[in-house]
Amino acid sequence: MTRARRQIGRNMLDGLCITRKMRACNSSSGFSRTLTFGVALLLCAAGARAAGTPIPHGTVELIAENQWIAAGNTLNLGLRFQLEKGWHIYWVNPGDSGEPPRVKWQLPMGLTAGAMQWPAPQRLGTSSIVDFGYEDAVMLIVPLHAKAGLAAPQPARLSAEVRVLVCREMCIPGKAQLSLALPIKSQLPAPDARTSDLFTATRKSLPRRVPENWRFSVADANGSFVLTANLGQQITQAIFFPLAESQIENAAPQKLLPMAAGFRLTLRKSEQLLEPIARLKGVLVLSAGQAYLIDVPLGKPGAARNGYGIGIHPAQSLEEGL
Amino acid sequence: MRMKHSTLFTMLVAFALCTVPPLIRAAKVGEAAPEFKGTASNGKTFRLSDYRGKYVVLEWHNNGCPYVGKHYNSGNMQRLQKKWTSQGVVWFSILSSAPGKQGYMTASEENDYLAKMQAAPTAALLDPSGEIGHLYDAKTSPQMVVINPQGVVIYSGAIDDKPTTDLQDVSNATNYVSLALEEAMAGKQVQTPATRPYGCSVKYADSRH
Repeated sequence: MTRARRQIGRNMLDGLCITRKMRACNSSSGFSRTLTFGVALLLCAAGARAAGTPIPHGTVELIAENQWIAAGNTLNLGLRFQLEKGWHIYWVNPGDSGEPPRVKWQLPMGLTAGAMQWPAPQRLGTSSIVDFGYEDAVMLIVPLHAKAGLAAPQPARLSAEVRVLVCREMCIPGKAQLSLALPIKSQLPAPDARTSDLFTATRKSLPRRVPENWRFSVADANGSFVLTANLGQQITQAIFFPLAESQIENAAPQKLLPMAAGFRLTLRKSEQLLEPIARLKGVLVLSAGQAYLIDVPLGKPGAARNGYGIGIHPAQSLEEGL
Repeated sequence: MRMKHSTLFTMLVAFALCTVPPLIRAAKVGEAAPEFKGTASNGKTFRLSDYRGKYVVLEWHNNGCPYVGKHYNSGNMQRLQKKWTSQGVVWFSILSSAPGKQGYMTASEENDYLAKMQAAPTAALLDPSGEIGHLYDAKTSPQMVVINPQGVVIYSGAIDDKPTTDLQDVSNATNYVSLALEEAMAGKQVQTPATRPYGCSVKYADSRH
């Protein structure tokens, strides 16, 4: 088998591992196709275990959305965590306990890593302690900005030191040294078929900006923040995840009152919150795949009419202040 | 007459049950620290109210938690315990892990641990029912609470400002417990009276994470 053929097999196999569908088989003869498929399956079986770098009770892998780094462009990188059943890692605001994963990048000149993009989390916990995080699997996207005019004869080596706390009934801190080599080209970027589905799926779980006609207000009342939303439709399900720690009592039930054109959500204030807050900022999840970033100023007492806040902030603002 | 007494008694009990709030309010900064009675690993019983007139530090402890490990393996917690108890502060380590959960210790196991780690709290209170933990709404280990001589909570939250498990983060951290004690003892207002208490969740009987 030539080197090129092996490479095709490997690429195909990786594609299989990720999509679990055989789509990209373009070998000319039936025999060759069968052979390649068989080899691919073997590689897949072997590769499935070796795909990620081990962390406690799981793996983490550094992947890229495109085949190369295009000078003057942004390339999305993914930190793909896969965990054993029942284990979890944390959102940027971990909630009552735990800590979010942290990454330290080592990058060649001309490349800079932007802020991490966090998919909407889940509530994890009990009646008295609630954390925000991800069970089973999650990918965190990090945009990599390449300087215009960047050129290099050798592939660029991207290195990331990941520190992550993995918990189930107990917590275990883990560390992984990840690395990925990608060529730098002046051509426009081309997606990597092996990874593009993962990036597409992950982007669906990222909080989006809210539609312009949605209106939110927050009132400070009786030890609670009352979030009122006017979305033009009745909402029967909503969970709020605060970006700042210690604003709301994470474990308190979030009382939802469906209204004709939206909802009212009562969030008990945190006992650790001793001073008034100016804004309530966080992720509002209405259903799976429907997460929005909201940033609502608190209505002044007695001036509720002026209390509308319009959460028209791009997803990027989620990264700020994190 | 006997019947009447019994009826009256029943009514009183019923009345008492009605008026007792279903949930005891958790400790809050600026408010009176809830009274508790705890049995220590050394077999003695300790009541918070016996220490009115002294500063009291509560430290939620779970020796299997890596955040607790950071402060014990670096010797930081032991240094704090020695420093402040030598100045008359009462220091209770509180073990609220339920039996079978991480950090649950029998009295003799805890005594061995204290000796091995050269820990120096006034006492390590065994709270396997989680009663003291829930009374103070303790969410993590190592969550810390500081109570002033008047019995008022003046600090509740993290031990310091580095919410990590890295040993090297101990030396350059701002310790909120020491800060609160220093400020209060100097007659000043505590500048940071509440923070998010970082660490592992307290392993109450219903914990699953």
